Amino acid sequence: MIDATAHAPDKTIEVALKIWRFDSSTGERTLKEYEVDAPEWVTLLDVLDLIKDKVDGSLAYRKSCRMMICGSCGMRMDGAAVLACKTRMYDIAQSGHVPVVSAMGNLPIVKDLVVDMEPFWAKFKAMKPYLQPGYDQPLDGKEYVISQERMNVIHKESLCINCGCCVSECNSMESDPEFLGPQALAKGMRFVGDPRDARKVERLDEYSSEHGIWDCTRCYFCNERCPKGVDPRDAIAKLGAEAMREGIDEDMGAKHANWFVTSAKTTGWLRETELVPKTQGIVSSIKQMKFAMGLAVKGKVPPPVPPHVAEGVKESRALFELVKQQDRQGALGIVQGERALSRLEHDDGPEGGDQGMGSRDHADITPAEEPTRKGAGE
Amino acid sequence: MSHQYVDREVACSAPARTVPITSVAVDAKHDVLVIGAGCAGMRAAIEAHDAGAEVAIVSKLHPTRSHSGAAEGGINAALGNASEDDPETHAYDTVKGSDYLGDQDAIEILCNEAPADVYQLENWGAVFSRTEDGRIAQRPFGAAGAPRTAYAADITGHVLIQVLYEQLVRRDIQVYEEFFGWRLVVDDDRCQGVIAWDLLHGGLKAIGAKTTILATGGAGRLYAGTTNAYSCTGDAMAMALRVGVPLKDMEMMQFHPTTLSPTGVLITEGCRGEGAFLFNSEGERFLERYAPNAMELASRDVISRAEQTEIDEGRGVEGNVLLDLRHLGAEKIIERLPGTRELSLVFAGIDPIHTPIPVRPGAHYHMGGVDTDIWGRTELEGLYAAGEVACVSVHGANRLGGNALMETITFGKRAGRHAAEWALANTTVAVPPSQLADAERDLKALLARTEGERPWQIRDELARTMHENFGVFRREEQMLEQGEIVGALRDRYEQVVVEDKGDVFNSDLTQALELEFLLELADCMVVCGVARKESRGAHARPHDFPDRDDENFLKHTLVTWEDGRTSLDWRPVTMTKWQPQERTY
Repeated sequence: MIDATAHAPDKTIEVALKIWRFDSSTGERTLKEYEVDAPEWVTLLDVLDLIKDKVDGSLAYRKSCRMMICGSCGMRMDGAAVLACKTRMYDIAQSGHVPVVSAMGNLPIVKDLVVDMEPFWAKFKAMKPYLQPGYDQPLDGKEYVISQERMNVIHKESLCINCGCCVSECNSMESDPEFLGPQALAKGMRFVGDPRDARKVERLDEYSSEHGIWDCTRCYFCNERCPKGVDPRDAIAKLGAEAMREGIDEDMGAKHANWFVTSAKTTGWLRETELVPKTQGIVSSIKQMKFAMGLAVKGKVPPPVPPHVAEGVKESRALFELVKQQDRQGALGIVQGERALSRLEHDDGPEGGDQGMGSRDHADITPAEEPTRKGAGE
Repeated sequence: MSHQYVDREVACSAPARTVPITSVAVDAKHDVLVIGAGCAGMRAAIEAHDAGAEVAIVSKLHPTRSHSGAAEGGINAALGNASEDDPETHAYDTVKGSDYLGDQDAIEILCNEAPADVYQLENWGAVFSRTEDGRIAQRPFGAAGAPRTAYAADITGHVLIQVLYEQLVRRDIQVYEEFFGWRLVVDDDRCQGVIAWDLLHGGLKAIGAKTTILATGGAGRLYAGTTNAYSCTGDAMAMALRVGVPLKDMEMMQFHPTTLSPTGVLITEGCRGEGAFLFNSEGERFLERYAPNAMELASRDVISRAEQTEIDEGRGVEGNVLLDLRHLGAEKIIERLPGTRELSLVFAGIDPIHTPIPVRPGAHYHMGGVDTDIWGRTELEGLYAAGEVACVSVHGANRLGGNALMETITFGKRAGRHAAEWALANTTVAVPPSQLADAERDLKALLARTEGERPWQIRDELARTMHENFGVFRREEQMLEQGEIVGALRDRYEQVVVEDKGDVFNSDLTQALELEFLLELADCMVVCGVARKESRGAHARPHDFPDRDDENFLKHTLVTWEDGRTSLDWRPVTMTKWQPQERTY
C-alpha cells in the first residue's frame, strides 16, 4: 500500500499573508490579511490554495502545473514579481514577516491576483514569433543539421515560459506602455539567433523601430526577476549588437551606443558635448544649447576644448584589442549581463567562466540562490 | 535573518480594468472545434487548418500553460540518430510495453508516422538537443530496444508546446482562451459543439462546430500523489461519458516510478536514461531482483511495483527510494538534466549533484480514455479525441516513456485531418437554444445553493482514497470499498456549495465542476478494475490474480453511462504481428 502518511503534512507552520484584493464589479481595492496552518514545505501557491479552500473561496489567482513550467502563477510579493509555485514560505514565515501579495504590474487587473494578459500576448504576436526558414524543408526530408554550439546561442531565450514576471517589473514599459518589452524581445532574439531562420535582417529592422530594442532603459529588473534565467535584458543587448552588425543603426539609441564606443576608444572618456549632436542630430543640439551652457557653467560638463585624453586610455584601447582578437561578432560579443557575470565569478561549476554568451550558461538556468530569499524581495 | 521588506502601495500599481472585456461572439460556428490546447489539441488544430477547415480552439488555459509543457524526457521516434533503429522495433517495444493490451494496428501507425512527424516539429523550429554531427539527439528510455527518445535537455514538452503555439500564431487560429468546456452539444445524433463557461468575462457560451475534437489531457488529479497539473481533471473524458460515448481501459492509470517527495513533481525518466541508479535504504540497487537485465530502464509499471514493494517491506527511506545521479557528474547533470536539478533544489532543497533524490511512485498518465479508432473518431458522429484524453489504444496497460508526446502529435494530426475532411464534406451545424438554456438553469441552481459543503474536502478525500485503494497494487476488497466511497462522495457532491457567486474569474465554480468530472471518472475506473480479474501492466492484483490471463482478458474494458450509472462491456485487442509472450525485462 501507499503510505498515506507520506502524503499527509508532517510538521506545520503558521503562514500569514496580506493580499491586495480587487473586486471587479465595484472597482474596490482592499488589503486583507490571512493566516493559515501549512506544512513546512509550502510554497506561496500552496498557501493561496489553503486560503481559497478554507478561508475565502472567492480569492482569484491563476495556477496549473505547480512546477515552474506553465507560467500561470506570476504575481508580486512585497512589490517584486515571483512565480507563486517557486516561492517557498518557510524562511519568511519563520522570520515573522507578513508579505504583501498583489497582482503583477504593467498589466490591467481583472480580479485579485489575476491580470489581463491580452496586451502581453499582443506584443508577443507582434514579433512574428515563428520560424521563417525561407524554404519548407531540408532536401532529405529530415531535420536541419546544426551544431549544438550554434543552437546554444538561443538556449536561454528558449527557456521562457511566458509568465510575465519581466513585463511586470519593466521600468521602460511603465513610462511607455507600447514598449515591446523584455518578454517579446527575448522571443525575438530566439528567432534572430536561430540559424534556421531566414528573416533575421527584416526582424532586426522591425525590432529596432519605435518602442523596440533601443527603448530599453537597461535597469536589469527583467534579468533580476525572471524565474527561469532567460535574462531578457541580455537578449535585448544581443539584438542590439546583431542589428549594428547588420548596419541597422539609425535609431537614436543605436547612435548613442555607437558614440559611447567611439568616445571610449579614442580618448578614453565620454565626450558628452559631442554625444548630443552625434546621437540626436544638430537641430536637437542647438535647441539644448542653453541647457548645455548651464551645465558647463556649473562644472557638470568638462569643456570640449582643449581636447584631452584620459590617463588610462591605453588600458581602454587594450580592452578593445582584446575583444577584437577574440573575434566575437554581433550577439556573440555580448558577454553576460552584470548579474550573470558576478555569478560566474562565484560559481565553481564545470562550465568555467569566460565563454561569452555563446556558451550554454548553466549558472543561469539553475536557482543558485535561495528561492525564498529571492521571493522576499530583499 | 533581517529582511528589508518593501511594504508599498506600488504593489498594486497596475491600472484596474474599469470596462468589461469585449465579449466573444456567443453564437460562433466553426468547421472544427478543438477542446484543449496542449500538444494534441494544437497539433490537431494546425492539421485541420492546413486541410482547409475553419478552426477554433476552446481551452481553460492559455495554450502554453497546458500540461504537455511539463513533459520532460522526450518523444519517441525511430530516427536512428543515436544507433540503428526502425519503426518495427519501436512497435514491438510498444506492444510488449503495453503488456499486449495495445491495439497493434494503431501502434504500427504511430511508429511508422513518428519519424516524419518529429522532423516536421524540428522544421517548424523545435529546439531539440543535437548529436555531435548536428542531428536531433536521442537518449535511451525505459523498455526501448534503442536510444529512441528525441529530446530537448529535460524540457522537451516545453519546447514542443512553444513551437506548436508559434505555428498556431502563424496561422492566426482563433483560441477561446480561458473558456472552460463543460457540456458537449449533441443534436441529430451527432456532436455539434460545446457549451463553455467564460472564465474571464463570466457567462456560458455555446460554440457550434461541425466536428469537435477532445484534447483535454488526463485526470491525474484523481490521486493525492500525482505529477499532473491542477488542471488535469479529465474534463473531456467525463463530457464524452455524459453523452453516451464509451471510455476504454479506464482502470489503467500509470504510476511513474520517480516523483519527487513530498510534492509529487515529476523527475524525468531521462535521469535513468542518462544512467542514474535506484537504491533502497540498504544501499542496494534493488532492481537486480525485479528486472536483472534492464535494471533502471525496465518498464515503468515494473519499476513502480518494485519500488512500492521495497517501501512496503520496510526498505524505503521515509516512504521513498533514492534516485542517485551523483556518478553522472556535475557536467552531465547540468547539461542534460538542468530542469531536474532545478526542481530538486526548489521543491526538496536537494542538489542531485551532491545528494540522491527521494522519489516514489505517483499517478502520472491515464492509458485509458475516450474510445477512438485510428482516426480519432468516437462512436458519436462529429466527435473526435486525441492525446491522453483518448484511448486509441497505443499504450494498452502500460505506456512507454516518450510515447505520450509522440501520440499527441501523430494522433492529434490524424484526428485533425479527419475532422477537417468530414466538416468540409458536411454543411450544417446548429446548437439548439434549449441545450444552452438547460445548462444555464443547472449552473444557476448550483450557484444559488448556499447551504452545504464546499468541494475541497470531497476533492481531498477522493484523491487520498484513490491512492490508498486503487494505487500501484490493488485488492478486490479495497476496490469494492473504493466503489462505496466514491458513491458516497458523489452523494455529498449533490449538496456542494460554490462560495464565489461572481462572474469574473470564478475559479471556485470551475473547480467544483472539475470535481464532478473526477468523481464520475473514479466510478468508471473502479468498475473496470474490479472486473479485470488478472494482473496486466498498471493493473496489479498480486493477492488474488497475480498473473496475466490472456485467455480471458486479452481485451479492453469499455464503460458507458446510463442514467448516471456505469455499464461495462468488452472488446478484443487488435493484433497484427505479435502474439502475447511472457514479459520480462
